[in-house]
Amino acid sequence: MSTGGHNRATAAGRLSMLLGALSVPAFVGVWELIARSRIVNAVLFPPPSTVAVAILDWIHSGQFVGDLSASLFRVTMGFLIGTTGGIMLGVLTGRFRLVSSLLSPLFHILRPIPPIAFVPIVILWFGLSEAGKLFLVVWGVFFTVWLATHIGVQKVDRGLIRAALMLGTPRRQMLTEIVLLGALPYIVVGLRTAVSISFYTLVAAELAGAFAGIVYRIEIAQQNMQTGQVMGGLAALGLLSFVADRSFAAIAERAVWWR
Amino acid sequence: MVAMMHTPLRPTSPLRLVDAQPEPSSTAPEAIIRVEDLSIVFDVPRGAVIAVDRVSLAVMPGEFVSLVGPSGCGKSTLLNAMAGLERPFEGEITVAGKPMLAPRPDIGMVFQQPHLFPWKSVRRNIAHGPRALGKSKTEALRIADDLIDMIGLTKFASAYPHTLSGGMQQRVAIARALANQPRVLLMDEPFGALDAQTRAVMQDNLLELRDRINATIVFVTHDIDEAILLSDRVLIMSAGPGRILRDLSVALPRPRSSAILTDPAYLALKRDCLDLIRTEGRKAFEQMER
Ligand SMILES: Nc1ncnc2c1ncn2[C@@H]1O[C@H](COP(=O)(O)OP(=O)(O)OP(=O)(O)O)[C@@H](O)[C@H]1O
Ligand SMILES: [Mg+2]
Repeated sequence: MSTGGHNRATAAGRLSMLLGALSVPAFVGVWELIARSRIVNAVLFPPPSTVAVAILDWIHSGQFVGDLSASLFRVTMGFLIGTTGGIMLGVLTGRFRLVSSLLSPLFHILRPIPPIAFVPIVILWFGLSEAGKLFLVVWGVFFTVWLATHIGVQKVDRGLIRAALMLGTPRRQMLTEIVLLGALPYIVVGLRTAVSISFYTLVAAELAGAFAGIVYRIEIAQQNMQTGQVMGGLAALGLLSFVADRSFAAIAERAVWWR
Repeated sequence: MVAMMHTPLRPTSPLRLVDAQPEPSSTAPEAIIRVEDLSIVFDVPRGAVIAVDRVSLAVMPGEFVSLVGPSGCGKSTLLNAMAGLERPFEGEITVAGKPMLAPRPDIGMVFQQPHLFPWKSVRRNIAHGPRALGKSKTEALRIADDLIDMIGLTKFASAYPHTLSGGMQQRVAIARALANQPRVLLMDEPFGALDAQTRAVMQDNLLELRDRINATIVFVTHDIDEAILLSDRVLIMSAGPGRILRDLSVALPRPRSSAILTDPAYLALKRDCLDLIRTEGRKAFEQMER
């Protein structure tokens, strides 16, 4: 009986693995068939083979490397700056009542405004410069990380802080070790959300006008009716944010190393 | 082994013998901890709670004093005030001649929960205090290793706290507090969360440790047996707001063991304590009902 149940369970497991492996190829295959069968307009819905050719052209032309590095630079720098600021201010507002009274109301008002809504004013302020794009990503990342840190710091076990006080822990170490590590599990959750936010804001930043970048390339291709290139760009963006999210999840698992 | 060499501190403590005025005043000049007319008040949404009400007490160097009383009577608050974690509303606390305004490294504290730093190994938890006080890493780790041997956790030196049992964690917490060589060790129901067997072992460990560390200990507990077994003096507190009802000397010889549980002097003392506590406990309960 129990062996039967066990077999059935592994059989179900294998089936689910098989289906999982087939999911993407099946989708691509069906898409190829539909696109070639002329049920749909092949200019608007190019088959995957056309998309693949467009991607290869993109790579061979040398533009891909430039676009990829421009986008990666914006996302990474924006993420790092926004995250650093968010963590530092989160520790301060979470730990010091006066700093919190001063800043938290302001942050709570600014935080819910979607970062994309700042595109027009950012163009007025920064034109089409890199600074404006960084600003948008930083802005998007900052509030999420700030809030996660602020909450995490307030939830740090008071007992830990008292124990550290009794042992003569200097003020600085109290912030940089006890409070920061005590809040780390919350901060890591905030950082994970910030990874996807940094990609959302990247899209807005590049659509607003740029001279290189994956989303910029998508927009140019759209204006030239190069649908294959548009979809190739989408695939590249999807792959990029997928890899970023997965690697961050792997890092996050190790960040709270004592668990 | 070490416990065997212990000389009873009371009533034949050498500190007592050199006392020029044998007057048992609670403000004897050589006391290491002096609490005078201490009141502590907490602000709560519907007014104020008096947690400690005009308490005075003195603890002599090397003494082991227990605080016993019903739940909520202010034992933790009083201990926290001695630790500098709670500010007096009225009155004064001095430890080693200096008023207590903030935590000081010459005063160690062990809480009911171990509160170990979860991101540090046993060794680094214990080394935290010496490092914080500016000792070199090597020196701090040497201190930690000595203490780890003393608490018998050598095999767990590099383990993280969550992999240890409650009793082991509490031993680490005690070692961590001792690493700064405090003159005063405050303990707030340190064994309250442990099962009876572990608790008995921990009590023996503490008695043994105490002979080596030469610190003054103030120990909060609910357990009257524990208080008598460990202490030179037991202070019994009233139901909240806390005041000290009775100051009982435990004139039982040391080293002590469970043999004292049948000693008539012990039984008489315990009966005294239990009567007082029962009356107070009932008062505390009635206060809650109201
Ligand atoms: N931070 C606080 N804010 C408000 N009231 C408090 C605070 N800490 C303690 N109290 C109140 O002070 C009184 C004494 O509390 P305390 O924790 O000192 O009691 P206790 O004797 O240690 O009790 P237990 O044996 O249950 O640990 C209680 O009425 C409690 O509600
Ligand atoms: Mg308590």
